[in-house]
Amino acid sequence: MSSNEFLKHEGPWSDANDPLMCSDTGGWRTKRPIVDKEKCIFCGFCAIYCPIQIMEMVENSYFSPDLRFCKGCGICAKECPKNAISMVAEGDF
Amino acid sequence: MTEKKKGKLTKVLDYLKHDDPFSKGVSFCPGCSLELLLRFIPQVLGNDIVITGTPSCSAPVLLGQNNQSWHTLSYFGTLMTGAAANATGLVRYYKKAGIKNTVVCFNGDGTAADIGFGNLSGAAERNEPFIYICYDNEGYMNTGIQKSGTTPFGASTTTTPFGSASKGKNLRRMNLGLKMAMSKIPYAATATLSDLDDLAKKLLKAKEAKKRGFAFLHVFAPCPTGWGYATENTIEVCRRAVKTNYFPLWEAVNGKIRMTKTVKKPQPVSTYTELIKKFAHLNEADLKILQDDIDYEYCMLGGLSVLESECQLPVSSED
Repeated sequence: MSSNEFLKHEGPWSDANDPLMCSDTGGWRTKRPIVDKEKCIFCGFCAIYCPIQIMEMVENSYFSPDLRFCKGCGICAKECPKNAISMVAEGDF
Repeated sequence: MTEKKKGKLTKVLDYLKHDDPFSKGVSFCPGCSLELLLRFIPQVLGNDIVITGTPSCSAPVLLGQNNQSWHTLSYFGTLMTGAAANATGLVRYYKKAGIKNTVVCFNGDGTAADIGFGNLSGAAERNEPFIYICYDNEGYMNTGIQKSGTTPFGASTTTTPFGSASKGKNLRRMNLGLKMAMSKIPYAATATLSDLDDLAKKLLKAKEAKKRGFAFLHVFAPCPTGWGYATENTIEVCRRAVKTNYFPLWEAVNGKIRMTKTVKKPQPVSTYTELIKKFAHLNEADLKILQDDIDYEYCMLGGLSVLESECQLPVSSED
């Protein structure tokens, strides 16, 4: 960067060390996905189809969503072949 | 803990070899298929890709806001009229500078089919070595759901509303993928998000074909906000679009079309339209027009896929 004699300072937007922007998308949620650990057959369909890619493998036996960012779209519950995920209204928690 | 019957992990996870460069809380609507596609591409192709794109639903996230970024990829934002021309410039710069990477021109259907089609057509003619990905949500969703060239017959949008004077779009949609395949580019394909292994294979093939020239991917990406369906149905809409031949999956290597997924018993298009509110007003006669259009395009694809093997060309081909 210092080799550039015209632009001494490239501007804050080019600094890749800054932390990435991140919204509190978990706050948008109206329904919360609840995974039934016993029914889960660990196929991974919820993980690949989740638009936010927040389904995490837990102990190589079931998947669990990261509720900080889950927008509650319900794709995981719809695509689960064993219906192991149910969408429960946020007001119940 | 009792022994549990475990299924096999889906093979799609094997394609996701790279990290997800996006931060987790990204400002896309819940159930957005574009978000799934955007996170999928760098996980398959690698994080060294350079994305160039235009004002669209993808731009607020890809471009960043104020002075912060949502992701760690390289992005070059440009205007809708010059998307492919800018990608051409980037490719030529990287070639001259000796930098080996992949340029991905990532646009919506408004840019690819309507506003930036001239550039796209020109880049295909010059056979520029980059990947052009068009995510087709059948309208200008970011500006408020106006109709575009790929909006299908009968769809209700804000510029072709359903009411007393208008009954949705009264024109047929254009088939962008077929148009590009007819340009005889090294690789053209259609893909959708219900078949992610198919999409991953096509992305990798496009990266391979980029060494020979232009690669084009037409990805069907439904929009829950603009089309009016429940957010959990995003993948189901994609699946039914394939099953009704509304959006057939094929690839064309040097213009030779091959179906990558054939549906044995295609369902009537009403099984697809019943999910979506923008088609809710269609009656039997309208559905028949839509069905005839789909059948016509599918017949044409089927004919083209056998054309080269059946036709004996008078002059032997170059390769």
